[in-house]
Amino acid sequence: EEEATTPARLLIEKQILNKYLVESRDIVVNYNIFNVGQSPAIDVHISDNSFSTEHFDVISGVLKVTVARLAPGTNITHTSVVRPKAGIWGRFNFTAGEVTYLVNEDSKDIQLGYTSEPGEGFIVSLKEFDRRFSPHVLDWSAFVVMTLPSLVIPFLLWFKSKSKYESIVSAKHANKKH
Amino acid sequence: GDDDENESLSLKASPDIDTFFLFTKPAQSTSELPAGKEVHFLVGFANKGTKDYVVDSMDASFRYAQDFSFHLQNFTAIAYNRVVKPKQEMTLAYQFFVSDAYSARPYGFTVNLFYRDVDGNHYLNAVFNETVSIVELDEGLDGETFFLYVFLAAVFVLVAVVAQQFFVSFSKKHISSSLSSLTSSSRSKTETGTSNPNDVDYDWLPEETLNSLNKSPKVRQSPRQRRVKRGTETGTSNPNDVDYDWLPEETLNSLNKSPKVRQSPRQRRVKRGTGSADD
Repeated sequence: EEEATTPARLLIEKQILNKYLVESRDIVVNYNIFNVGQSPAIDVHISDNSFSTEHFDVISGVLKVTVARLAPGTNITHTSVVRPKAGIWGRFNFTAGEVTYLVNEDSKDIQLGYTSEPGEGFIVSLKEFDRRFSPHVLDWSAFVVMTLPSLVIPFLLWFKSKSKYESIVSAKHANKKH
Repeated sequence: GDDDENESLSLKASPDIDTFFLFTKPAQSTSELPAGKEVHFLVGFANKGTKDYVVDSMDASFRYAQDFSFHLQNFTAIAYNRVVKPKQEMTLAYQFFVSDAYSARPYGFTVNLFYRDVDGNHYLNAVFNETVSIVELDEGLDGETFFLYVFLAAVFVLVAVVAQQFFVSFSKKHISSSLSSLTSSSRSKTETGTSNPNDVDYDWLPEETLNSLNKSPKVRQSPRQRRVKRGTETGTSNPNDVDYDWLPEETLNSLNKSPKVRQSPRQRRVKRGTGSADD
């Protein structure tokens, strides 16, 4: 091949890994960075400004990453955990993060790119989430208490009768022995 | 770049645009897609020109491998609506589900990317346009097979329970009939149905109860014998026709032992049954 090695080429996928987005609960954000070029990508900066500090807290990881060098044909994954603040719920558009890198070791021009967009998601309020997924311990215990009479009363009636006749039988056996 | 294959609109790829295609799931393979699984891929879009470009949408479709104009399945065209400025690039993500109804053979797979420049010229890039094979993953245990085995096991257990019930009742009948032939000769299987009008089956009583009933020294005649004799009596001689069989034995005994009543209700009834005038 007469063709020289092509410059570094990055594909960056931004994923939201949660199935449910819930107010005040963790949201896992995953960045997959693939270098599909033939040169190493140098000084890769990823900064995600789509999670504003007035709406989100960063729980774990950082939203600004620097990878010194990403060899051709390799990939790297970065994960952050953010959490919507209390009272933040409703439709939210997850937009792209920004990426800058040098396409090869000698490059001076900074290549600017954007990650993929996860798109719109709905952050459910904590109340709604609890209503659907909490174990409902209180509700079930109330149900148990309410069903008890219809089970216990017939049982007691039966048990009274049973113990009465069993005492008669045992008395008879005692008489027989004498 | 890739040529626009005989798409109805004669859209061409823009010379300013460079695209790149990468399957991320399944990660290793680029020509084998698993049936019944999700497929993810990324498309890189780089603007090398001097104008802004707007990426409108991207769609994917399975084609007939021998004739790419024959569509087998079209997947949703995802609208991106993202602006890419000159010298910038961006990544697009797309995912779809390969139905497990696909048989394992080659299919044509085409991904079309629709975009336009700021002047309103529309373009199309076939970012992927190759033949891929759909493969069936050989998984050890899928849900359907698992529940089939659970169902078979349940059927087996049910048959075992029914068989056990059958044998138990069969052997019990043998034991009780031989027992009754020892204790009361009058009760036998050959008696006519009409001679036992109540037709009470004592098989459910435990063995020791039957024995104690038969052995009871106070009552010479067991309730069973009584019943058989009563069967021969005329209906009118016992107008009340009260059946004392349901009473527990000790109640009957206490009634029999009662000094006030010389005759137990049972003896009375039996005598009445034979037509004697004691009553």
